[in-house]
Amino acid sequence: MIVFKVINHALSVGQIELLGISSASMLQVGDTDHVSLYSMFDTPPESVIVGPLAPFPSPDNAGDMLGESTVSDDDGS
Amino acid sequence: MMAANESSDLNFPIRTANVGAICIISAAKSASVQLGDRGETKAKLRAIALQRQEDHTTAGDVFFESYPIFYRPFPVLNDPVDDNGAVIQLDRVNGSPNITVGCIRVTAAGSAASILAGNGMHLTADSRIKHIRQYPRLHPTPPAGC
Repeated sequence: MIVFKVINHALSVGQIELLGISSASMLQVGDTDHVSLYSMFDTPPESVIVGPLAPFPSPDNAGDMLGESTVSDDDGS
Repeated sequence: MMAANESSDLNFPIRTANVGAICIISAAKSASVQLGDRGETKAKLRAIALQRQEDHTTAGDVFFESYPIFYRPFPVLNDPVDDNGAVIQLDRVNGSPNITVGCIRVTAAGSAASILAGNGMHLTADSRIKHIRQYPRLHPTPPAGC
């Protein structure tokens, strides 16, 4: 059994100045129990596509995808 | 002196946030601003940042399902103490009933961000952004065999 005891004394802050709160971030004045913040940002070198400007192909099972209203069934799926 | 000692032993199970002023210029793209308590928050953002030379209307659509970043699972936190069945007991003692902030100035709150003046219990935020640049080759290579 691990007992983790926290004693919060008086907390008084004059001013908070923030330039930006970015994606999946939080600013909270108050207490909380559980916080999980995930952020994945992918810009690999191979994300630069130099070549003919062909449209990106649809995923394999594009017709079954939910929430992708622009997917049509007649594009080879 | 006696009164000071007695007040330091007090416990306030719920603290109240007192904020004098909040000045926010921009809270965009599913950002949330809340004054008050909140039980559970699940904020989610997925975005494809596609930079193209050609117009999107002629270059075709892009699909989230083409990229594994949008459906890969969360990383797992290995906690051998918790796996062994040990219980962590959290005792929280609040000596003051208030958290006081004079003024909050925020220039911009971005995608799926949360600004909360109050208590929360469970917050989960998930942001996944894929960045692609697509532009034509300046000097096309001759086909193989030439």
